Amino acid sequence: MGFAQILANGVVLGTLYACIAIGFSLVWGVLNVINMLHGSFIVLGGYLTYFAWASTGISPVIILPVVAVALFVLGYALQYLFINKVVTAPVLTTLTLTFGLDMILYNLMTVFFTATPRRVSLDYGRIDALGVSMPVDRLIGMGLALVLTGLLFLVLKTSRIGRAIVAVRMDREAAALMGIRVNHIYATTFAIAALMAGAAGAVFAMVFPVTTNLSGVFLGKAFVICVIGGLGGVSGALVGGLALGIIESFAGVIVGPQNAITIGFLIMLFLLIVRPTGLVGVKGYE
Amino acid sequence: MAEGLLEISGLQAGYGDVQVLWDISLSVKRGAITCIVGSNGAGKTTLLRTISGLIKPRAGSIKMAGTEIAGASPDDVLGAGVVHVPEGRRLFKGLSVRDNLLLGAYMRRDTVQVNRDLDFVMNTFPILRERSSQDATTLSGGEQQMCAIGRGIMSAPKLLMIDELSLGLAPRLVEVLSEALTEINGTGLSILLVEQDVLTALDLASQGFVIETGRVTITGPSAELAEDARIREAYMGL
Repeated sequence: MGFAQILANGVVLGTLYACIAIGFSLVWGVLNVINMLHGSFIVLGGYLTYFAWASTGISPVIILPVVAVALFVLGYALQYLFINKVVTAPVLTTLTLTFGLDMILYNLMTVFFTATPRRVSLDYGRIDALGVSMPVDRLIGMGLALVLTGLLFLVLKTSRIGRAIVAVRMDREAAALMGIRVNHIYATTFAIAALMAGAAGAVFAMVFPVTTNLSGVFLGKAFVICVIGGLGGVSGALVGGLALGIIESFAGVIVGPQNAITIGFLIMLFLLIVRPTGLVGVKGYE
Repeated sequence: MAEGLLEISGLQAGYGDVQVLWDISLSVKRGAITCIVGSNGAGKTTLLRTISGLIKPRAGSIKMAGTEIAGASPDDVLGAGVVHVPEGRRLFKGLSVRDNLLLGAYMRRDTVQVNRDLDFVMNTFPILRERSSQDATTLSGGEQQMCAIGRGIMSAPKLLMIDELSLGLAPRLVEVLSEALTEINGTGLSILLVEQDVLTALDLASQGFVIETGRVTITGPSAELAEDARIREAYMGL
């Protein structure tokens, strides 16, 4: 396999990774909650997309926004009803809570959907250009991932709700003095993260098979990407995601795919030592 | 006696087992600058935090223009027209001066008037216009105070409460800010100023309250308070 092909594979994988990590990073940065549910949200998004596609034949590109909205509602409810009760508690408390919620969601999915790997197979053929061969569905997946990431960036940067999210992250008491209802913003942030996870799952299901067993893998990836890229921002997730995608792609060829994940974690450890804020992270959010 | 804009009576509040405010009663006049002075730890900041809803009172009443706001949430207090410019400015890091100011108008939907108010703030403090796209926390202390006051004005309040206007600022800057506040007050906005610097506060305000260990001990027109022997001795070293 040529250099260009490996790089292209890495970039495609990297944009999907960015999409996977972005919600996790947002919740961690704004709420200071390590959301153990994140991986299962992605799987749920993938499964819902698959079953909607398999039973109706509607294009997954149309199903995706519906799934994303469903995950938004689920995320808002979970945060408002459960996590907000302990959101100011030490991080271990919220971690335990989301871990428990994750066990429930994970097992419900296994019972109702079974753990069979499922994939939305679109078969759009391949494109060959510049010595790179790429399935079209992967390119569509990459395009969707970039659009989603870009949309979130715009919302956070320019909207009123985006300003409120940053304000709550920086100083929740001062934010309250602006008339911002902090619990509502927490729930909205969590909901946006769930929405992005659901959308990422939908995109993922169009490219790779999804199964409940992947929930832990997704969570691990999100964690590594946040550490590599830096917390709380869209740019951190994008840089971290691309970096991990490219690293894994090259490592897969050089040391074998079974060792690629290990290389990713080694680089994360190395970065934790030399640059704890991540590649583009803000100081103070290590 | 005519009803004041903000009427507080029998207010008690504190943190956990510690009671800080004991039976506070005071009245803030409509259209005036009122000051609350007292030494460090007297309960001035706690009083503002209780008014703005960050702390729930244990007893007593806070009436804003006739509406009871004791125990209301911060967004409801803001909705009633009371804004709290907190001690230490508390600007949002990572957001520009303009975004910080716009956050002051978070609850407002009247975009046209919001833009007009943004213009008013930037005309009052021209440096904020110059620095409008700069991260607000990179401003100097005085400029940050201007931004914090501007952010308060952006909520279109009826009462602007400022905690420690002069803390950590050079006398020259305090003068600039005092002039600006007088100008803002001239537009009809009532101001409640909390200050450790008794001279500045009494100079700026028309009415004053002295708080000691959580109780209002002296009340009166600020010109009289400035002549009061107890105040001169305790706070001015005269």
